[in-house]
Amino acid sequence: MDAENILREVQPLVGEVVPIRSVQETRPVEEYAGAYVAEVNVKTASKVIKALDSAFPRDSSHPLNHLRRFAKHNQIPESLRPALLKEGYLPSQTIFVLVPSPLPAPEALQTLLAPFVPPPRETPLPQTPTAGPSLPSTPAPPPAAAETTTPATSNITLHTITVPMQPPLTPTQAEHWSSKMWPVVFNPAAPRALIAPPPQILSRVRDAIAPKAGRYLALAQAVAAQAERSGLGRGVGAVVVDPELEPVPEDSTEGAEEGSSWTDAIVAVAGDGRYSRREGGNPAQAEIAGGSGPSPHCGTYNADWEGGPELHALMRAVELISSKRREDKPGSRRQKIRPVLYGLEEYFLRKSDVPLSSVETETGTGTGGADEEGEDAVAPPPEKYQKTTETEAHAIHLHHHKEADEQKVEAGGSGGAGGVGPRIRSREQGGYLCNDLDVYLSHEPCICCCMGLLLSRFRAVIFPRRGRMVSGGLASEPVVKPVPVEAGSDHPVETAEGGTEDASTKNREYYGLHWRKELNWRALGFEFVAAGESEATSAETGVAFHA
Amino acid sequence: MDSCHAYFMKQALIMGEKALETGETPVGCVLVYNNKIVGSGMNDTNKSMNGTRHAEFIAIEQMLENHPRTLLRSTDLYVTVEPCIMCASALRQYQIRTVYFGCGNDRFGGTGSILSLHSDLSIDPPYVVHGGLFREEAIMLLRRFYIQENENAPKPRPKKHRELKTSFQNSVPDSQSSSPTI
Repeated sequence: MDAENILREVQPLVGEVVPIRSVQETRPVEEYAGAYVAEVNVKTASKVIKALDSAFPRDSSHPLNHLRRFAKHNQIPESLRPALLKEGYLPSQTIFVLVPSPLPAPEALQTLLAPFVPPPRETPLPQTPTAGPSLPSTPAPPPAAAETTTPATSNITLHTITVPMQPPLTPTQAEHWSSKMWPVVFNPAAPRALIAPPPQILSRVRDAIAPKAGRYLALAQAVAAQAERSGLGRGVGAVVVDPELEPVPEDSTEGAEEGSSWTDAIVAVAGDGRYSRREGGNPAQAEIAGGSGPSPHCGTYNADWEGGPELHALMRAVELISSKRREDKPGSRRQKIRPVLYGLEEYFLRKSDVPLSSVETETGTGTGGADEEGEDAVAPPPEKYQKTTETEAHAIHLHHHKEADEQKVEAGGSGGAGGVGPRIRSREQGGYLCNDLDVYLSHEPCICCCMGLLLSRFRAVIFPRRGRMVSGGLASEPVVKPVPVEAGSDHPVETAEGGTEDASTKNREYYGLHWRKELNWRALGFEFVAAGESEATSAETGVAFHA
Repeated sequence: MDSCHAYFMKQALIMGEKALETGETPVGCVLVYNNKIVGSGMNDTNKSMNGTRHAEFIAIEQMLENHPRTLLRSTDLYVTVEPCIMCASALRQYQIRTVYFGCGNDRFGGTGSILSLHSDLSIDPPYVVHGGLFREEAIMLLRRFYIQENENAPKPRPKKHRELKTSFQNSVPDSQSSSPTI
């Protein structure tokens, strides 16, 4: 069957796109440490801070900005109240200051805080210390003679409590800590940067890819089927999409159903080719097997027959894109070493060679409206190629290029890819690795391919949950429950505990390589959870090999 | 240090030096079977526009032109920098016997610095890793490279005021570099 027929018959997978949580989320480092708490005169609070900061400088690598420096009476967690509130001061008289690590010597701290001891205890109305919340409406405190403290009260008592050393990941976690340990502030922006992708970027990219993810993944499976049938590889496929070439969102449903126009944003596809290589002058495994049809090796794992990771679908897709960036001449040495193997690969490579308008004629579909008006080959590199920082690069995709939008308007809103020059930019045109491309895979890629996709600077990677592999490098936790975990879910601690239990009987590692804070490069990772999917159908239970 | 190990690591350093001359990240390696070099490689990511073309892959590709992949089971790798996560996994899939590296790689290292893919649970047998051979020479290669600007990046960072450092901390670079025998 030729490529166009295959494309026409691709039936999109039905399901949901779910972010893969980072290992920082699934296995949060819950680090706790001791801290001192002292009750001081509420009126001297700012002086207390000055004195503390100058005497005991903070560790700038652990600024502990999530811990409130002061707690009012009503903010003290229930469990600490018996110890902390036993002195019986009024909420209008005192406040509690936190001195976290690095902990000073207690004597030095007591001496430093001595000037700020609470004023003499008033003998007020019978009060219940736990009934605190009336503080904000309390009228201005009576002018207690703060400066005339009696020597008897000049001793500062230091209480030792335990505080969380890492910022909370969710508001729920912040509330939990605040009610059990010490008041904690949740800052949605700053602390997450390396812990997990910024939630707004994650959800916007997910929303952008969700409408077509089922089609791209179905195509990845079609490529996989072609690879397996040929005997040249295992049934693993990759589809690479340039989000920049997607039709603008309003039009994504229109025309998506007809013909093969839904493939317009695809820049390359590749299938696995592990049995295709000759090694040491010997015939390739596929040649030894002879004939067509799936390789006899598909049913088992024996490293000797597995070729190598550079023959995996993802690595082959990366190399096909590189060959376009390099503008390889046909028959070049590189092409001989890493040849094009499958009809679908050939189809998309050819498509990437011709200007967008000709592609439309060729495929006979009416996307229309993307005429380049003579600027195709020499279009200046779009803005995205001039960006370097990760966050900027991600943010760039949230809005389309102005010029693409204008073209759409001129074309009467009939849709069409936001054409901006060649589909795969060469080195001279500002093309760089696989910058900002998305890759859809039929299976969870092996660890080697996961790092390969990070080194190639892909924006996002998507695979079907039932394509999970025991040798995979993306999943960050076992499938805990059939209900997908939403971005910004508020129960990381609970699910992580479930995961840890499973890990004791694990048959695989959960690396979550797409987003690890230690690595220089990160990508957004998603799983596609098919509607009504049962966990038993996962490839994790099939033949273990590297996808 | 065994003179054999020294010789092969020097060959890897020469490959790294070549990489530096051609504007590639200066990492070089050689594959050694039966005391003979059967493959050598240097980083090729800039020239190839392919971020996965690391020295290890180039060397393996060269070796497989003349040898079957089963030979890798009795082959050792000498590489100037700890293999990255990608290469560490590839070496495990290829069932390399032993990896000797120069300096650790605290950004991407896959054999001890960030992950320990040589020994983690996997469907392939583990391999042995020794770090710290000619560590300072390997680091100097990298320093000489990183004081340059990366003209291939979309937005190179200016580095005019950087100076080449030549001092070293004497600490052992990596926790797993337990290499008393070499």
